[in-house]
Amino acid sequence: MTRYILRRLLQAIPLLFVISLVLFFLMQNMGDPIATMGGRNVTRSADRERLKRQLGLDKPIIVQYLYWLAGNDWAKADLDGDGIAETPGTRRGVLRGDFGLSLVNKKPVTQVIWERLPNTLLLMLTAEAMILIFALLIGIYSALKQYSTFDNIITTITFLFYSMPVFFFALVTMYIFAVNFKKWGLPYLPTVGMFEPTAGKTPLQVAWHMVLPTATLSFGFIAGYSRYIRSAMLEAMGQDYVRTAKAKGLPKPEIVYIHALKNAALPIVTIIALDLPFLLGGAIVTERIFGWPGMGRLFLDHVSRGDTPVVMGILMMIAVAVVIFQLIADILYAWLDPRIRYT
Amino acid sequence: MVIRQSTRLFLFVLVVVSMILAGCAQPATPAATQAPAATEAPAVTEAPSVTEAPAATEAPAERKVATFIWTQEFDTLNPYYTNMWFSSVTQQLYNCWAWDFDEANKPQPRLVTELPSVDNGGLSADGKVITMKLRDDIVWSDGTPITSEDFVFTYQMIMADRNTVASRNPYDLMEKVEGLDARTVVITFKEPYAPWVANLWRGLLPAHVLKPIFDQEGTIDTAEWNKAPTVGCGPFVFDQWESGSFTRFVANEKYWLGRPKLDEIFFRFVPDDASQIAALKAGDGDLGTFFAYSDLPELEAAGIKIINSFSGYNEGIYFNMHAEKGHPALKDVKVRQAIALAFDRQKLVDDLLLGRTKVAATDWDNTPYNDPSISPWPYDPEKAKALLDEAGWVDSNGDGVRDKDGVELVLKYGTTTREIRQDTQAVAQQQLAEVGIKLDLQSFDPDIFFASYAENGASANFSLDLIEYSDSPNFPDPDTSAWLCAEIPSDENPTGVNTSGLCDEELDALFKLQATQVDYNERVQTFNKITKMIFENVYWLGLWQDPDLFGVSSRLANVKISGVTPFFNIMEWDLAQ
Repeated sequence: MTRYILRRLLQAIPLLFVISLVLFFLMQNMGDPIATMGGRNVTRSADRERLKRQLGLDKPIIVQYLYWLAGNDWAKADLDGDGIAETPGTRRGVLRGDFGLSLVNKKPVTQVIWERLPNTLLLMLTAEAMILIFALLIGIYSALKQYSTFDNIITTITFLFYSMPVFFFALVTMYIFAVNFKKWGLPYLPTVGMFEPTAGKTPLQVAWHMVLPTATLSFGFIAGYSRYIRSAMLEAMGQDYVRTAKAKGLPKPEIVYIHALKNAALPIVTIIALDLPFLLGGAIVTERIFGWPGMGRLFLDHVSRGDTPVVMGILMMIAVAVVIFQLIADILYAWLDPRIRYT
Repeated sequence: MVIRQSTRLFLFVLVVVSMILAGCAQPATPAATQAPAATEAPAVTEAPSVTEAPAATEAPAERKVATFIWTQEFDTLNPYYTNMWFSSVTQQLYNCWAWDFDEANKPQPRLVTELPSVDNGGLSADGKVITMKLRDDIVWSDGTPITSEDFVFTYQMIMADRNTVASRNPYDLMEKVEGLDARTVVITFKEPYAPWVANLWRGLLPAHVLKPIFDQEGTIDTAEWNKAPTVGCGPFVFDQWESGSFTRFVANEKYWLGRPKLDEIFFRFVPDDASQIAALKAGDGDLGTFFAYSDLPELEAAGIKIINSFSGYNEGIYFNMHAEKGHPALKDVKVRQAIALAFDRQKLVDDLLLGRTKVAATDWDNTPYNDPSISPWPYDPEKAKALLDEAGWVDSNGDGVRDKDGVELVLKYGTTTREIRQDTQAVAQQQLAEVGIKLDLQSFDPDIFFASYAENGASANFSLDLIEYSDSPNFPDPDTSAWLCAEIPSDENPTGVNTSGLCDEELDALFKLQATQVDYNERVQTFNKITKMIFENVYWLGLWQDPDLFGVSSRLANVKISGVTPFFNIMEWDLAQ
């Protein structure tokens, strides 16, 4: 098993290298970071030339990639524009743990990401917990009670939510529970942000501000996940071993939760393992609408300003997470299904 | 399908038990525990305390907090590292300009005793030397006096090779900046520089905080002060900034023009426009900006006051008249006039902008520099058709589009993805089709649209024929380099800003002249000629005057907004009783 894990991790290295190369080259087509530095005005030519030089954007893409990967402390740059490279570089490169400085705010990329990651994890893990709990409940129940009234109602509702665009659900709930409830004098939810400025950032305030974003994130996914669980459970419940278990006279909960669910869990684990790394990326739409300071907004803000170091940092973090979670999923398979062996 | 009673009961119990178990299992994730608790608790406790607080019980002790909603987050709080609107306008809170501008866009001395002029000896007759006399009561928020050293240091930082400041305009035109004594700053330009009032000292860096960092690191790019300017010179002082979430400024007790009436200004970053509207309507914000015109009636119905602040932006179309790369039709003034006459811009303003602004005649509308005799081209499609016929553009092949010498009058019309711009494109397409001009519409993300010629930016590479945007580089000063021959982007000059590719020698000479005219009245005369020339030749077609829209809740009192420094009187803002 250890050998298997080691082999998988070693295989990931060239993969991540290729991913980084492709992403870096794609980023170069995402627009000109200097174009957006003029704010609402067009950047002056003199400033354009100076900034390109100072930020190293005048170098060929492959050199820029090399500096990103391995740093530029072994090279010199021309900062005063006289054509002679005189100032030694200061970047150490990703390979030595330096993801560089954001072009937008000059903060280290790791700091930029670290400022947002906890907010995203708080929101996404809560939502994921909600999704799993409700999807399991609904999925199992409607599998056991296939074509019952409850199953039909829940199927209709889940499809309704599943087909609803996230922004629509978010804005409708915001207008109902935050704007109109307040107008009608009912207890209301807040519209945006993480807390009220007068109340301060208390856990209660944060939780209260999380209600709508969490609901928005959960609803579509509950619908999707519960359908997977339902069909996986239906299949498992029809298997011979379940009939045997029934014939043995085992209590129903044991049949459902131990025999059937454990076997039905395999495809569900795959889906969750695929989804989890993207939780790190945040939810662009939900975070935007509810003003939640997470990774999705960070990504969008910096993509729109062509901030290669930050965008690369986020994308590489997600790429690494995908590799790791896939590995975890494979290990989980072996635990869930003893027939699977990695040697 | 009949469900057996016992099974149903069992499943019901199962679901209930699972839910309870799930509820018990939740403490594993800290967030999950809070969520259910919150759904009950705050509904009772929190909500009333919020509504009561400002009103009755704690009113005297309550901090006066105003909440601003910003749809974009600041990039940096160092005034010289950003040109971003949301960052720049906020600088009036915690930083200081040598002079602010009031709601009529007139300069108001802040750090200086009076505005330098030829009369008071502050401005040399040749317009090259500016001498500023500083007030003697000005201090940083930590009590350190503001002296000429801070101005000299600010100049040095802008010009330092290792500082990646956003713009060196106009500091790279200076020969030197000196402190004659602690209260006198002398600025010497290489050439006379007319737009100095608008562009000088838009912010000040504290030498006593940043100089040690610069001496040690060789750059202030990564200085902590850029993110947390705890030492400032505005009516408020920076307190806290949480990335993506909020920024808090508190009253500066040492502000020399008097402590502000509000205790705190809280900025909340809400990127979504619809959420901004919802937050303002729900009272979760006291000030917001940049609304879609279609949202204005709804906001006003909720008691939000809309303030139109003119900051020099006039939306308009630049025609690609590049000698080689321009469409042959657009080099003919009659065709350009025909486009102006065929496009009912008043209707556009009435319908899309709800009549809340005006059709722009020139890029200098609402300033003293416009020739007063100019009024926008009227809507006259018949005259437009006649002009096109006269110019030789007729529909010879019967396809509904005019042509000449085998070239169809099909124009590529590009702009950014801003909604109102795309709507305008659609209207223009419809109206110009009626006179036989076909428009091929394109829209781009702003960073691609405004990228330079070198980066193949759509507004700079002459691939489009009609290019729509607005620019106001030196407001309230009228100076711009957008019409200079030397600014035409090319392989030799890949960062030029002359979008239209036009080189009109007479216009070029006038623009060069005005930039050196220190005498205000002479400069106005020159600009009257410039505006008349651009208007009559339709080098640029004005669409609408594009004011900055501010929405202010009825909670706020004494609010005035300037087009240059919107929050110039923020120290007088107060909560309405």
